[in-house]
Amino acid sequence: MKHVLLGAAAAMMLTTANFAYADTIKLEPGKETNMVLLPKFLGILVFDQANEGAQEAHKELGNPGKLEFTGPTPENSTAGQIEIMTTAGTQKQGAVMLSNNAGDQIVPAAEAAQAAGTKVVTWDSPIPGGKGESVFVAQVDFGSIGTVMADMALNILGGKGKMAVLSATPDASNQNAWIESMKTALAADPKYKDIELVDVVYGDDQAEVSYNRALALVDKYPDLGLIMSPTTVGIQASAKAMQDEGLCDKVKVSGLGLPSEMASYTMNGCAPEFALWDFRDLGYLTYFTSYGLATGQLKGEIGETFTAGRMGDYTIEADPGREGAKRILMGPFTVYNKDNVEAAAK
Amino acid sequence: MGLISRLSPAALRIIALLAVLAIVVIFFAVQIEGYLNGRLFNRISSSVAIMALIATGQTLVILTRNIDLSVGSMVGFAAFATGSIITNNPDLNPLLLVLYAAVVGTAFGMVNGALVAYARVPSIIVTLATMALYRSFLVEYSDAKSITTSGLPAWLTDFPNMPVFSIGAMEFRAGFTASLAVVIIVHLCLTRLRPARALFAVGSNPEAAEMAGIDAKRVVFAAFALSGLMAGLAGFMFLARFGTITVVAGLGFELKSVASSVVGGVNIFGGSGSVIGAFLGAILVDLLETSLVRWAVVSEFWREAVLGALILAAVATDTILSRRLTRLRATKKGDAK
Repeated sequence: MKHVLLGAAAAMMLTTANFAYADTIKLEPGKETNMVLLPKFLGILVFDQANEGAQEAHKELGNPGKLEFTGPTPENSTAGQIEIMTTAGTQKQGAVMLSNNAGDQIVPAAEAAQAAGTKVVTWDSPIPGGKGESVFVAQVDFGSIGTVMADMALNILGGKGKMAVLSATPDASNQNAWIESMKTALAADPKYKDIELVDVVYGDDQAEVSYNRALALVDKYPDLGLIMSPTTVGIQASAKAMQDEGLCDKVKVSGLGLPSEMASYTMNGCAPEFALWDFRDLGYLTYFTSYGLATGQLKGEIGETFTAGRMGDYTIEADPGREGAKRILMGPFTVYNKDNVEAAAK
Repeated sequence: MGLISRLSPAALRIIALLAVLAIVVIFFAVQIEGYLNGRLFNRISSSVAIMALIATGQTLVILTRNIDLSVGSMVGFAAFATGSIITNNPDLNPLLLVLYAAVVGTAFGMVNGALVAYARVPSIIVTLATMALYRSFLVEYSDAKSITTSGLPAWLTDFPNMPVFSIGAMEFRAGFTASLAVVIIVHLCLTRLRPARALFAVGSNPEAAEMAGIDAKRVVFAAFALSGLMAGLAGFMFLARFGTITVVAGLGFELKSVASSVVGGVNIFGGSGSVIGAFLGAILVDLLETSLVRWAVVSEFWREAVLGALILAAVATDTILSRRLTRLRATKKGDAK
């Protein structure tokens, strides 16, 4: 009898717990918590846009605490991120919002921060192994990036041709995940069967290296039709290189780019189509997530749903790309072409 | 027979370097289909135009037994500052713009020079610090904005690729030709001008140079200022070539410029070397890098390692070759007597 009762009680608890998860959590504003927004490094437009979004959310939630936007200088990215993460833990910050550029090397510092009570929320680029991370705010589904890139390739090449990828660094976890997902997409559907991915090269996210790599690709594959670059630096440098050498008629450029940097290449036909998401929204959503976790209103468990202000409801789910890790999926993409790029560039 | 004995060791060094360059070109021409053509020349020459200037400045500093690790940050800052000025004043006179880039670079170089020469702080410490400092200035100054090609006037972005003259399919483009001219001018100064010879004197023996009445501090100061000037000009070229400038512009150029100088036979302990050598060194490094990307045998992950090994091999071959040539020259001289 006792067992039955216990069982019933347990069942009831489970049900109520399920109900609690099914309810959308409205974050209570005005709680004080200090937070740090930590980009890969300072001085890059998209990270500043993310900061604008986070500041907007900070005001909206009326957090009396401080939101600090701080990051390493470009030449010191990895070591600088680890140092700032360590400091944030000892300062008992409520949360660190991290766009990870240090791979799994950041794990010990992130775990130490978590142990000190600081939540670690990643955005833009996660911790590859998922250790030391509370949750990852994914800009778009990493799997769908592959499909979007494959579709752009299909469009631009007119269904048939050779394509090469110009990535950032060989160990950038988000880049590698996107390239893999594009390969999967290309193999999955017979409509892509005439598109051949001939090479993947790396431009280290530097203009001059990317520029030279793009030209080397053209020399290596004389019948190349498209350079796909899933990085804002690479796509811009490739487009410039093709334009400078008068190759735009033969070799098109596509990938992930910033409208303000790509507008002229889209208008002159060097880069007819490319895609990106909104970094302001990403910063805004990341702030809501981190605020919820740091103030204890979110537990960071799979199935929790909460309202992120103007952006609507989001749910914490298992990350399909990283076993054991959790993510919140923002989405969707905006695909830019000559019809909408100039408006977005302003 | 008299030819080899009439050549100076410096000239022999250059010949050895050219031989190594030829070996590399022949090797890749055999390995890669459609490698040897005018396009290869255009690729390498356009790309090396920027590094040639930086390596020239670096050589001047290394000659005085110092090193300048802040060149990359100076290039980045000069490129951004120049881009910012021209974006806001599109009608600015081109010469004034070049002058502005030069002044920005020289000012930074003078700070390095003052700290090394007069405050007597070792150059590796000073420039390691200013490398981070100048980069931080750039981050502050840029306010996370980028310079974009669309904000630049056409004359500026067209400049580097404008063909000046061509031999067959080989185009001598304006960017490369301008760099080459600067290298030749600096080379002529170093070999002909008395004040410029002081760089060698200070580098090979500072005490003796002082005793000979050379103001060693002023020479070191000047070397750093000139390195800044070269970095400023390189910043201008960087802006013209790439159009889009962010805070990462010029990252890693310090090591590449040191590599170019050393590959080019500039003695890292000071006192000997030539800017023509450094120029050829820059070409060799660039050639290896570009060719390796096209060489299917080496995968992406091994390329950096292979590049390092090849640079070592090139330096070794070049050293052995020039030693052989020098010995040959000595024996020839002996025969002549």
